[in-house]
Amino acid sequence: MAESNTKPKFAFYWAASCGGCEITVTELGMRLVDAGDLVDIVFWPCAMDFKYEDVEAMADGEIDFCFFNGAIRTSENEDLAKLLRRKSKVLVAFGSCAHEGCIPGLANLYDAESILERVYNTVPSLDESRGTRPVPLSKVPEGEIHIPSFYDQVKTLAQTVDVDYFMPGCPPVVDQVWNVFQLILSGQLPPKGSVIGADAKTNCDVCPRQKVQSGMRIKEFKRPHEVELDPDLCFLAQGVICYGPATRAGCGLPCIQGNMPCRGCYGPPEGVVDQGAKLLSAIAALIDTDEPEELQSIMDSIVDLVGTCYRFSLADSILSELKYKKR
Amino acid sequence: MNHQPETFADQVRAIPGGEHLEMCYSCGTCVSKCLIQQKVEPEYNPRRLLRMVMMDMREEAFQSPTTWLCSACDLCYPACPQQIHISGVIGAIKQLAIEAGYESPLETVTVDESLCSGCGICVLACPYEAPHLVEKEIAGEMDRVSEVDANKCMGCGICVAACPLGAIARKGVSNEEIVRQIKVKRQKKGVPRLVTFVCDWCLRADDDVSLLESYPDNVRVIHIPCSGRIDPQMALLALRSGIDGVLVCGCAPGECHYKRGTYVSSCKITLLNRMFEQMSIGDGRVRFVQIGTQDRGRIRREVDAMLEYLAAWKEAR
Repeated sequence: MAESNTKPKFAFYWAASCGGCEITVTELGMRLVDAGDLVDIVFWPCAMDFKYEDVEAMADGEIDFCFFNGAIRTSENEDLAKLLRRKSKVLVAFGSCAHEGCIPGLANLYDAESILERVYNTVPSLDESRGTRPVPLSKVPEGEIHIPSFYDQVKTLAQTVDVDYFMPGCPPVVDQVWNVFQLILSGQLPPKGSVIGADAKTNCDVCPRQKVQSGMRIKEFKRPHEVELDPDLCFLAQGVICYGPATRAGCGLPCIQGNMPCRGCYGPPEGVVDQGAKLLSAIAALIDTDEPEELQSIMDSIVDLVGTCYRFSLADSILSELKYKKR
Repeated sequence: MNHQPETFADQVRAIPGGEHLEMCYSCGTCVSKCLIQQKVEPEYNPRRLLRMVMMDMREEAFQSPTTWLCSACDLCYPACPQQIHISGVIGAIKQLAIEAGYESPLETVTVDESLCSGCGICVLACPYEAPHLVEKEIAGEMDRVSEVDANKCMGCGICVAACPLGAIARKGVSNEEIVRQIKVKRQKKGVPRLVTFVCDWCLRADDDVSLLESYPDNVRVIHIPCSGRIDPQMALLALRSGIDGVLVCGCAPGECHYKRGTYVSSCKITLLNRMFEQMSIGDGRVRFVQIGTQDRGRIRREVDAMLEYLAAWKEAR
């Protein structure tokens, strides 16, 4: 790999994530081969055999750009975030987990203790509780075993280290991955802190579905499996909460084309601080009744309110901030 | 049907809502109930407007503030001894005024077309059917955006709060202008800091209105046209900045000046509190109260109760 020295050095790491971000990169197909010609992959634990020591041995800023996917859930995630920040010129929060916490961020509904208790002691699939728990340090006859510690709060990458760019999506769609890859190689980067690989407006801007008419309001919120969905009509008009109005466009609407409402993974549009609060504000304005009892029953029909409004953005929300604020 | 309405009164009667015009015997009960007359425009007078129509005073009626300021809150409707749906009659007069080329003098909302994604949330949120979606050319491309009929818009700001990307604004109460006011000076230890959003219409008694000016600087009062103008992000931003509590005051159910603002706000604050509970931070620091036109002195009690609660909450931390 001697000739690779002149090529930009690229790293791709996963923290608390599902692996979908790696899959979207492999979906580049033959373009991945092109990418391999354009960059020198210096760290990609999912696909190639590198060790953390290899990264530690690099000079600071030696990596030209790093895609970091996954939220920060354990001490290992945090250590690697800090290490890769130090070693990378450009650090991209790649995908929804790094960008805003994504599904792992929903763990902020609970605390570490109740999660560990559930997983190791009370889930029905356990034959019998053995009362074991993972602990950061175990002493065994052969010596000490260290494993990463499990944090109380799931954080985003930007809540942990300084981030240069944000690429939304769960996962980012493959064409946008390629766009961002080329954007970075071109050096024509927008101002630091920008969202890249997405648009400024929301999904409704590009959604072909027939819009709601005035006079139509919502008497009951339904979940997608509870209603036969008209493929041509706005989901909200069918009483199904769609995240499209509060979600940045750029994904190409794969969910909506599959007759499922937008789930919100591309994050808030430009200028919105708290995506869930804005969605809540929008859907509350659609509720149609002046009877207090009916008002309650319509509100009750929204199942798992936090999960619905903050499906992908809970870790990045003011709600999480308030919960974990030092008291 | 070739019969043409002859008089102004005939024309008003011919429009749905205007039918009961001549049942009015000018008692003025509607005027005594009306908050607009008391708070905004002394010249506002439904009794006189209806009389103008009967007397064929077309231009005077079209220029009267009564024609334009009525928000159809219908406080007068149950009080009218003749059971006239007065806002319906005024709506009919307004429709004729618009057809005659008159325009609403009210401060209305504006849409930033470069941001608007055409989701249509505002179309559903508006109590007055003022916004609608149109296809038009923006920056050389056809795009679907919201357009607001300024003659229908009453300026309540419910759509401003509902817009998920802040593409709608109303002068004086844009998102930026409200957020800028969410500030409470640092206080001595133990003194709670409170932000109170007060709907311009929910306080009837002068004492209650002037009370708002007299609070010490740990209570910030922010005036809003309607409690429906509040979006939960504002309450969250307040708490994040270190303010201890948020109190939102709106009209009593059935008395909302903008028909549905108080329901919308009640939903938002209830749902926000449900979220707090789900996150195990349900500590009652964001409250919504609905103050009726007869609830004189209620605002003082509500603010005092909130301050007392917050002081105890701070103490317990």
